[in-house]
Amino acid sequence: MIDPQVLVLGIGALAALASVVAVYFAVIERNLVRAVVFSAIQSTLYALLYYILMAPDIVLVYVPVAVGLYPAVILFLISKTEREEKP
Amino acid sequence: MIDPVTYMLTLIILCMVVNLGIALYGIFFRPSLVKKIIAVTILGDTANTFAIMLGYRRWLSPEKPSIPPVLLNYANATKEALAEFSARAVDPLPQALVLTAIVIGLAVTLFLVFLTLQIHRLYGTTDVREIRKLRG
Repeated sequence: MIDPQVLVLGIGALAALASVVAVYFAVIERNLVRAVVFSAIQSTLYALLYYILMAPDIVLVYVPVAVGLYPAVILFLISKTEREEKP
Repeated sequence: MIDPVTYMLTLIILCMVVNLGIALYGIFFRPSLVKKIIAVTILGDTANTFAIMLGYRRWLSPEKPSIPPVLLNYANATKEALAEFSARAVDPLPQALVLTAIVIGLAVTLFLVFLTLQIHRLYGTTDVREIRKLRG
């Protein structure tokens, strides 16, 4: 019989591991639009992690701000400036 | 033999430390200002996660998991219910501070976005190497 706390925290650890991959691609990617999409994926995984760490009030604020507003504002900035990062 | 719960929490903290390192690399070594803004938001979120992990509490037993710091039907809560709540609920203070930090981070990001927009209007580029050359 596996401990349910280990199961719940295991989901959180998986989300944290996946967020490392998303952060890596968000920083390395040269196409800025795809970098913003990877950043939104990272924010979604962090929201799941916050929910598992017993902070549902943070999730309620974090999801609209970090998954909705940040990518929208940065996409607006990209549309006004440059689409690609020069090597 | 290491406790599996300790193992999972250590894994989460290690992932956050790696994220912090990658975000710092993005801030210091990537040339594009837009990429720097993305890295700053990731850095702030990771710091917030550390603060939330500070307030986490382990389960008392599999039947009694830790609960969010929300007291339901507080109007007619008995003394025993309050004692059980204070024994099981996670710490609400870091969560309140993180809530404030998220909103302030939003304002700071908007300021940085319009600063970058103004730099692009004045210099015609968002690459820090070219901006440094133009200033000279």
